[in-house]
Amino acid sequence: MQSHFEYLRPSSTKEAVQMKIEFGQRAKYWAGGTDMTLRWRREIDRFSHCIDITYLTGLDNIEVEEDCIRIGALVSLSALERADQRHHLLKTLSDVTKLMCTPQTRTLATVGGNLSNASPAADLTPPFIAMDALAEITTEDGIRTVPMDQFFEGVNRTVVGDDLLSAIEIPLPESQHKVVKYHRIDRTIVDIALVNASTSLSADRSRTITRAGVALGAVAPIVIRSPAAERFLEGKSIDSVSESELEKVGEIASEDAKPISDVRASADYRRAMIKVMTARCIKDCIDELGGTIS
Amino acid sequence: MRIRLNVNGNAIELESATDRTLADVLREELGLIGVRVSCSEGECGSCTILVDGQPMTSCMMLVNQGEGKEILTIEGLGTPEDLHPIQQAFIEEQGFQCAFCTPGFILSAKAFLEENPNPTEDEVAFAMSGNICRCGAYPYIVRSVLNAAEKLQAGSSN
Ligand SMILES: Cc1cc2nc3c(=O)[nH]c(=O)nc-3n(C[C@H](O)[C@H](O)[C@H](O)COP(=O)(O)OP(=O)(O)OC[C@H]3O[C@@H](n4cnc5c(N)ncnc54)[C@H](O)[C@@H]3O)c2cc1C
Repeated sequence: MQSHFEYLRPSSTKEAVQMKIEFGQRAKYWAGGTDMTLRWRREIDRFSHCIDITYLTGLDNIEVEEDCIRIGALVSLSALERADQRHHLLKTLSDVTKLMCTPQTRTLATVGGNLSNASPAADLTPPFIAMDALAEITTEDGIRTVPMDQFFEGVNRTVVGDDLLSAIEIPLPESQHKVVKYHRIDRTIVDIALVNASTSLSADRSRTITRAGVALGAVAPIVIRSPAAERFLEGKSIDSVSESELEKVGEIASEDAKPISDVRASADYRRAMIKVMTARCIKDCIDELGGTIS
Repeated sequence: MRIRLNVNGNAIELESATDRTLADVLREELGLIGVRVSCSEGECGSCTILVDGQPMTSCMMLVNQGEGKEILTIEGLGTPEDLHPIQQAFIEEQGFQCAFCTPGFILSAKAFLEENPNPTEDEVAFAMSGNICRCGAYPYIVRSVLNAAEKLQAGSSN
C-alpha cells in the first residue's frame, strides 16, 4: 500500500534526534498530532518521514523540586490539568489548559507540541516566558538549555532545529514567592486566543518585587516580553502599587505590542486589550502574593 | 505495514498504509462505523474513542498510534439486549435527535463519569464541550449524563 510518509518509532530520545538529523527537512516529529494532523491534511507541512515520539519514555513526567519545576515535553494537556494540586504555579497552568482544545484533544495534545508549533497565540507560551522558564533541548550528544524568550524565531519556527525539545523548566528562586497569572480574549470555547497576556511576579520576604515577567501573545509574530513594564514593577513593594500604576503598566505593555489587524481582531482592539489584560494579570499576581492595591 | 490493535477486547492484526488515521482504519477495515468522522479536525468530537480509558479524537491519531493500547468504540459498550447504563440513560432522556454524534457523547460521558461519578450540571456541560450536536439536543444530553451518573452510582452501591 502506498503511503505519503514512512512511519518511524524511535525507542530513545537520542534515536529520535538521529532520525531527524538523517532526514532533516523531510522528517517531522509527531507528538499529540493535534497541530500536525491539520498541517499534514492541509499540506502546510510536506514530509516523507513521520517520527512518532509518543512512545518515548521518561518525557511525560512533572517533577516538583525545591529549586525548579520540570515538565516533560510529552506531558499531555490533560495531565497538566490534573497537576493543579502539586504547586500553585501548576494550578495556574492547569487553569490555562482548561481553556485549550477540547477534553478529548487535551488527552492527545502535549506541552512540547504547543511550544514547538510556535503559534503566536499559543496559550502556554506567555506563562512560560513570564516565569523565565527554560527549554531543555536534547541534541545528538547532550543537552542544551535555551531561555523560553529566545526559543522562538518566527511563526512556526523555533531554535530546536533537528534536535528535540525534551522538557521545560520553571526556576524557583530561593526565598522568593513566585506567582503567575494569565488572561486571554476569545470568542467562545474551542477557540484560539485573539490576544493573550501573562505576568509573573516574584517577591522576597520584605514584600519587594524582585522579578517581574510580562509576556504578550498574538501581538507580534512571536510571543514578546514587555521589558519596560517589567522594569516598572521591579523594586516596588507588593503593598504600594496603586490602581493608576496598574493602568500605567498596562499602557506601557500595550506600547510594546506590535499587533496586526486580521479576521480575528483589529490592531487597535488587540492593543486596548493588552492594556486591560496586563493590568488584570498583575492585580491577580499581587492578590495571590497577599499584597494590596493602594 | 502490519499493525496489531486491541479493539473492544479483541486482538486484531491488519495491513494498513502508515498515513491513515485510526478513525479511518476502525471504520473502513474493521467496520466499526459507530466511529463517526465529521470535521476531521478535532473540533466536533464525533470520532471520540477511549484509548486506555481516556477520550481521544481518533481522527487525529495515526493508525500506528493505536498499537499497545486498549481501544474502546461504541460497539464495545453494551449489547442491544443488555445496554450499558449510559446508553440506557440516553434513551430514557432522549439525549439525541439524529444520533450521529451520540457515540462520541456516550464515550466522552463514560470517561468523565469514571473520574467524576457525582457531577453537577455545569461540570457535565464542561465535560461535554468537546462534542458538538448539530441538532442542538444539549439540554437532553446533559440530563442523560446526570441520569447515567445516578444509574452508575446505584449500580455500584448494590
Ligand atoms: C480542536 C483544537 C483546539 C485547539 N485549541 C487550542 C487552544 O485553545 N490553544 C492552543 O494554544 N492551541 C490549541 N490547539 C492547537 C494544539 O492542540 C496545541 O498546540 C497542542 O498543544 C499541540 O501539541 P501536539 O502534541 O498535538 O503537537 P503536534 O501536532 O504533535 O506537533 C506540533 C509541532 O511541534 C513539533 N513537535 C512536537 N513535539 C516536539 C518536541 N518534543 N520537540 C520538537 N518538536 C516537536 C511537531 O513536529 C510539529 O511541528 C488546538 C487544536 C485543536 C485541534
